[in-house]
Amino acid sequence: MLLPPTDSKIVARRAQIVAALQKIVPDGVVADRSGLATFDSDALSAYHQMPLVCVLPSNREQVSAILKFAQADGVPIVPRGAGTSLSGGALPREDGILIGMGRMKRIIEIDYENGCVVVEPGVTNLNITKAVEANGFYYAPDPSSQVACTIGGNVAENSGGLHCLKYGLTTNNLLGVTMVLPGGEIVTLGGKSGSQGGLDLLGLVTGSEGLLGVVVEVVVKILRKAPVTRTLMASFDSVPAAGACVAAIIADGVVPAAMEFMDKRAAGAIESYNHPGYPLDAEAILIIDADGVEADVSYEVSRVIDIVAKCGGKTVEATDEKQRARIWSGRKAAFAAMGKLAPDMICMDGTIPRHALPQVLEEMAKLSEQYGLGFCNVFHAGDGNLHPLIIFDTMKPGEFERAEAFGADILRLCVKVGGVLSGEHGIGIEKRDLMTDQFTTEDLAQQGRVKCAFDAQGLFNPGKVFPTLSACIEQGHIHVHGAQLPHPHLPRY
Amino acid sequence: MSKADTPSQVADFVRAARADKAPFEIVAGGTRRSVGRPLGELPLLDVSGLSGVLKYEPEELIITAAPATPLAEINAVLVQKNQRLGFDPADWSRLLKSNGVATLAGAASSDASGSGKLRHGGARDSLLGFQAVNGLGETFRGGSKVVKNVTGFDLPKLMCGAYGTLSVLTEMTFRVYPKPQHAVILRLADVTPEDGFAALRRIAHSALEPAGLAYLPAGMMTGVGQGAAVIKLEGARQPLEEKIALAHGLLGNVMQRVDEDPFPAIGCGEKFADIPGDVWRVMVAPSDAPRVARQLQAQHWLGDWAGGVIWLAAAPTEAARIRKVAAEAKGQAMLLRASPESRALHGLYAAQPAALAALGRAVKAAFDPLSLFNPGRL
Repeated sequence: MLLPPTDSKIVARRAQIVAALQKIVPDGVVADRSGLATFDSDALSAYHQMPLVCVLPSNREQVSAILKFAQADGVPIVPRGAGTSLSGGALPREDGILIGMGRMKRIIEIDYENGCVVVEPGVTNLNITKAVEANGFYYAPDPSSQVACTIGGNVAENSGGLHCLKYGLTTNNLLGVTMVLPGGEIVTLGGKSGSQGGLDLLGLVTGSEGLLGVVVEVVVKILRKAPVTRTLMASFDSVPAAGACVAAIIADGVVPAAMEFMDKRAAGAIESYNHPGYPLDAEAILIIDADGVEADVSYEVSRVIDIVAKCGGKTVEATDEKQRARIWSGRKAAFAAMGKLAPDMICMDGTIPRHALPQVLEEMAKLSEQYGLGFCNVFHAGDGNLHPLIIFDTMKPGEFERAEAFGADILRLCVKVGGVLSGEHGIGIEKRDLMTDQFTTEDLAQQGRVKCAFDAQGLFNPGKVFPTLSACIEQGHIHVHGAQLPHPHLPRY
Repeated sequence: MSKADTPSQVADFVRAARADKAPFEIVAGGTRRSVGRPLGELPLLDVSGLSGVLKYEPEELIITAAPATPLAEINAVLVQKNQRLGFDPADWSRLLKSNGVATLAGAASSDASGSGKLRHGGARDSLLGFQAVNGLGETFRGGSKVVKNVTGFDLPKLMCGAYGTLSVLTEMTFRVYPKPQHAVILRLADVTPEDGFAALRRIAHSALEPAGLAYLPAGMMTGVGQGAAVIKLEGARQPLEEKIALAHGLLGNVMQRVDEDPFPAIGCGEKFADIPGDVWRVMVAPSDAPRVARQLQAQHWLGDWAGGVIWLAAAPTEAARIRKVAAEAKGQAMLLRASPESRALHGLYAAQPAALAALGRAVKAAFDPLSLFNPGRL
């Protein structure tokens, strides 16, 4: 994966840039090599790059001053929360300022009357829930990195989690953000009233992967914790039977709080890792949470048990809170458990229409043979969000490249059956070059013009999300001839 | 008037308009033409022929339809599989005295959600993907046809509430939701706005997943003393009984169960259809609703979404004062029904701060650089 070429003139000005940032944030500039090494990658750890300099602002005025300086001086900006992106969204640039938002971590206001919390972007996802759980509330999106990941990063990536099917992604749980635009202006989009009085720029900014500005304040909705949650584990003799069961549950009108699928290989790895009690003879397992008021949950559970039986599966229910936690601890440890099977792995992330599941699983198995690499499947079955884990060994020459190619083929397969490249991890650099598999030239040009509306100089997170270098042209009109992208001579990085 | 019945006819029309630098008004069912700044005598592009369900996959919770599909048609198709649209699309035609047919794209483009928005969010939370023609005459897609997607910019969100100023929609894919088997209306009568809204917020922040939470003062509902808090709960029969018991527990056994469901009329603004004057929707933080309602000093008003929106009728001379009350509460006052002169003067929403307004214009230009589509409406 190539990044846009480094601008050596910027690198040559490093000392002046560092000095300018030190004036803005006297106690928050990291410029020494060992300090910068901390920031040289995110959770897509195959890629490393030292930033030119890292700056850690502690208020919105500093962020604004940094962005004004960067624009005036023509220096790229890479925003970073906790660095947990799985798609390389926060990978630094050698000629760019890494702006780390971790110091802005105040919870500004908890407003139970309006069911919302106002926070700075560096507050972790889980700390929002911790701040309100004593009063029976929680923040619904729960990405697996929720202990570490920040709400600012969640906004940038439109993070999901296990409970999206019922409770939505980050975008469905936001009321407003205040952000600093590339020119340094501060704008507020939405707020407690939930209304923006114009275009839904809040919706646009959410999930924009640090390409449009830096979020400095976030208003999130909080929900009342459901009084009852019950967990079922269903096992099946065949993968297609499990897939059909997922579709049947949804078609029945039941929307479980979570519905997770894992194949035999994943279940086996997890079972030997932390012994959650998964049946080892099943070809596929579903873990299903139902939550709500007691009668609602009883009704859903009885529907699910019926449907599972009709699909040829067997259901067991967690008898107490301890067993419930154990079943889920297994699912949450899937990544670590698979790590025991091989030295390295990559976690893919695509969404498919649920009816395509048997076909996709079959074709993935063929690809696995073709590439000579093992894989297993865990996925958010309720919303069709696949997370195949590809296992490989970087010490074996060519395996990393083969694993990446295998992963890319899986994502192309997702698109081919009517799905998408990313359900929740984002595009970043990881899937950037596959964007042309999902979108036409016109689709991408339209998104590119939206980017230009915010960032005419193209300084924000360059090299992420979009595969082609495209200048922002007068009136936003990029000329397209035939199927050719503009500037065909320019490299696609 | 020109007619475009296929996406390629739309693209042809836009390219010709672009060549002539000739702005136009997009019309499908025509029920919402009197919302927003008047467009004057522009040529019309009639897209009402772009109608019909294209693909409905109930087990995927997804429906794809042409934009001018009537809401009634979509609802009839969905109800056969016990499903519904999540954003409770509101038909404003009675309020706006229009004889047209409310359509899917009209409802989404005007962000017209009824009382049920409480449960599954607005149009922006349901529109998964679309195809459209931009101001360059190019056909493009945004979003996708799966329920969970973060690939590229979330353009579907932008299309909702844009009033057709960004593109001409040619296809839309929505997430749909199961339709609960039963619903019940509970009424807490003879309460002040303060007590009524407080009761509604208690239900809003419970685990009861209410489908409607409105306060109606005496003038808007008869036989309820000084006013009523009205609550709609849904579910299968037995869970619903439990929810009713829980609601009584939360509010102290003082609610009556009533037969009449006022929410369809509330969401569509029909309560104001026959009341003279301008009609406003003021969006505020729900806990500010009683105070803002008092400050608005309207004879005819009600609060929906647990106080998140206050509907009111007012004399045209009140416009500036209403906007001021909304701004002081950090809310938005939307002028939904008014004379062309009032709408020209006051716009649909208050003017935005300069940086935000500039950003909005830049985003509009990114789709429609020559401002061909419904210019100035938003």
